[in-house]
Amino acid sequence: MLPFGNNKGEFRELMSNPVAIAAVSEMKPGRYPEKDGYALYIEVVRQFLSEWDIKPSDIQGLLACPSGMAAGGNADIFVHEQLYEELGIHPLYGDTMNAGGATYGLMIQRAALAIEQGIAESVLCVGAGKFPKVGTGGAESMARMVSHESFEFPYGTFIPAIYAQVATRHMHEYGTTAEQFAEVAVSTREWALKNPQAAMYDTEELSVAKVRESRPIATPFHLYDCSIPLEGGAAVLVTSANLAKKINPQPAYLLGAGEYHSHRSIHQAMDLMNMGCAEAGELAYKQAGLTPSDIQFAEIYDAFTVNPLVFMEGLGLCPKGKGGEAFQSGRTRPGGDLPINTYGGLLSFGHTGDASGMSMIVEGARQIMGIAGERQLERNDIGIVHSYGGMMSEHSTLILGK
Amino acid sequence: MNESVLPQKPQPKMTPGAEHYWQSATEEHFVLPQCEDCSEIFFYPRVWCPKCFSQNLSWYKASGKGKVYSFSVVHQAPFPSYKNDVPYVLAIIALQEGPHMMSNVINCDPQSVLVDMPVSVTFESRGEMKIPQFQPDN
Repeated sequence: MLPFGNNKGEFRELMSNPVAIAAVSEMKPGRYPEKDGYALYIEVVRQFLSEWDIKPSDIQGLLACPSGMAAGGNADIFVHEQLYEELGIHPLYGDTMNAGGATYGLMIQRAALAIEQGIAESVLCVGAGKFPKVGTGGAESMARMVSHESFEFPYGTFIPAIYAQVATRHMHEYGTTAEQFAEVAVSTREWALKNPQAAMYDTEELSVAKVRESRPIATPFHLYDCSIPLEGGAAVLVTSANLAKKINPQPAYLLGAGEYHSHRSIHQAMDLMNMGCAEAGELAYKQAGLTPSDIQFAEIYDAFTVNPLVFMEGLGLCPKGKGGEAFQSGRTRPGGDLPINTYGGLLSFGHTGDASGMSMIVEGARQIMGIAGERQLERNDIGIVHSYGGMMSEHSTLILGK
Repeated sequence: MNESVLPQKPQPKMTPGAEHYWQSATEEHFVLPQCEDCSEIFFYPRVWCPKCFSQNLSWYKASGKGKVYSFSVVHQAPFPSYKNDVPYVLAIIALQEGPHMMSNVINCDPQSVLVDMPVSVTFESRGEMKIPQFQPDN
């Protein structure tokens, strides 16, 4: 039925040029007022180079994202040029690209295509971002950025209220409760308490009651249903399998990938219960020769608590409408059989604005590489990473494996 | 807070193919673009039909009826011009003719809004213009 068997090793042999994530690095999300967008980029690359033994010849391509978008205007769209000059390299492949939160998933996919085509043997993917503090006018500029300026923005659009409508619809169609959304925040916080790099590492466990008692933002969401706006960034080196093995004893192989672009304005998505996640996932499964039952853990872009429900359903990790029950049952928490967002998610690790789509890729790769510290999973052979850009507009699914 | 000191709420930006839609709304008529070739009634207005790419378009006098497809009651004002409006309802309306559109649900208690609630069009002034809005039937 599927083009390849379920044996991931067999699939890798069938690929002419297998591709892997060889090295990853991520800043701890926080507030870095002394650094502008560009200085953050430099800090990301500096940390990456100090953590891994990378030579200039190991970076043949460079992809970056415009810096300064989420902070409202003055986006720098020449980041890749500045970075390769600073590094002193002359890449064979490069671009500054943007697809919102899906930027980095798509970067990995673009890098893989370039490597498979023989254009470059390695591509460094870099992102850094600043998410404006609440109450500094960021809500207006971001609402304007993600809404149709004519047919949405005049109605007072607000990013949490856009996602809240996905939640309201999920409640209507499947009987999901606000408490089940809160369970997502609770599960994700449990993971963050095991990750010293998470913004909420030094805090305490959440409870459903605490989430529901936090201040209301947009029904059914309260404050703790929303991710934490911070600053940070990450770097991911995608290479041929041969080069990856020289850099890392256990690279994270890219077993399959899919992308799908659905809409831009949320009202144009006729079915809020699937906006392109299932399509991207299906392409990734098909390419990997795998099915949802092969997936041992998932890293899912969680700007709000409704996201992991909708996406785990879209990716077939639980039946349609059963995401709330999955989180409530404890399956997704440490010790559960379907760990989700094992680094603390954007909800408790932190949402780094333009760079947010990096965090779930870095964690997916770390789990496969076996370098996830206290939160390292025992079952870490195959994981899925799902990110999206815009208002669940465009989707990237990556399947990573040993 | 005195309402007069708040900035104005955003006005729609004029986009290609939508001029007649906003002109009609300002005259309190709710119209939708329709394709003369494939008959598709669509939203939002643009210069071609998103189903068949025909540029042979006309305007359909819409019923102004629909149902709430989904909604959220906003408690934290996203921008200063909405400061006196919270809590207000941001909603996606499923129009009787098929397309969905963003709106507020106004002229009612925000807590009374439900998914599938029947609503009908009304109009709200924005400077020199008016924008379609929805309110509960009856």
